[in-house]
Amino acid sequence: MTNIESTLAGLIEEPPEGLEASTVVNAGAGDLVAAVDSRFGPLWIAWSTIGVTGLTPAFASPTVESFVDHHRRVSYKAMALPKPLAAQIDEALTTGEPEGIAFDLRGISEFQQSVLRSCATIMPGQVRPYGWIAEELHKPGATRAVGTALAKNPIPLLIPCHRVVRSDGSVGNYAFGPEMKRDLLIYEGAIAL
Amino acid sequence: MNARDASDDTEIQRTLVSDPDLGFTMLVRRHQPGIYSGARRLTHRHEDAEEVAQETFLRAYRALARYDDERIGDLRIQGWLWTIALNLCRDRAKRSAKEPSAVADPAGAATDTIPIDADSWNGRLSGLSNAQRTAVVLRHVVDLPIADIADATGRPEGTVKTDISRGLDRLREALTREELR
Repeated sequence: MTNIESTLAGLIEEPPEGLEASTVVNAGAGDLVAAVDSRFGPLWIAWSTIGVTGLTPAFASPTVESFVDHHRRVSYKAMALPKPLAAQIDEALTTGEPEGIAFDLRGISEFQQSVLRSCATIMPGQVRPYGWIAEELHKPGATRAVGTALAKNPIPLLIPCHRVVRSDGSVGNYAFGPEMKRDLLIYEGAIAL
Repeated sequence: MNARDASDDTEIQRTLVSDPDLGFTMLVRRHQPGIYSGARRLTHRHEDAEEVAQETFLRAYRALARYDDERIGDLRIQGWLWTIALNLCRDRAKRSAKEPSAVADPAGAATDTIPIDADSWNGRLSGLSNAQRTAVVLRHVVDLPIADIADATGRPEGTVKTDISRGLDRLREALTREELR
């Protein structure tokens, strides 16, 4: 290679920081991630151009890297949530009603999406058995599959899988332990102390 | 999920079929630096290069959603991306020509991230014809194979080689003139 050619090769430049992230996120192929404070401690929230894609309490995923590793979509760390979304999430965690918050459930199965949408209709103060969702989906034999789908809920707290309980009235399993599920249901007035 | 650094385009194409969003992220990670660097030499302002480097991939993403698996597998990735990018560079050049207020980067703006005198090289490259400048930048800055440059520019490979050769000659002449001053 002559000198002029090697000099031209030296004109390669790194793109500005953040260009990859904004390209991938604006295309809709990836998410941004940031933490919000809540009464449960810090929560990692992932969101796309469509809506919220994931939520995990920091006590379950201590670093943003561990959250990103387990999140189903490619994600980039952001400084903070957009203020309107942060306000909506704060309100939803207080009232138990995620009004106005869009969810982006791409990347999970159609069945799981339908389970989560059905679960999202259960209002604070109410509980429903796993079989109720199976009936709602016209799949009365799918109670166990409903339980599996709820156990993989990528947006717990906002999609209230804690409001689905066993048919005998016991609270059943929860990703963050049955004690937290019980506390949530007591806070919402669904069960007594 | 983290996007891995792709080892080659074949792996990216396989991933684009099996997991389009992850494949797209690998595509951006591997090829955006080249598109940005090339656009930086083919447009006048770094904002234009940034826009080209982003818009190229947004258009690619929309196109990929329409392509079937076979078409994705058959793509010559770099040539295809540069077909999109060169159209965008031409659009930016036309827009800049219509907007006298859209001034080129001030001297020094281009040299922040690379050790050589990029401003001077931008000046020398602007002395080439469009075809020569495009071919020289794609071959020697971006390191694109001749066949991909031919794909992207729609010119025969022999013509591309001539464009490169004549472009390099003119750059050498320009350097000689500068040395004699």
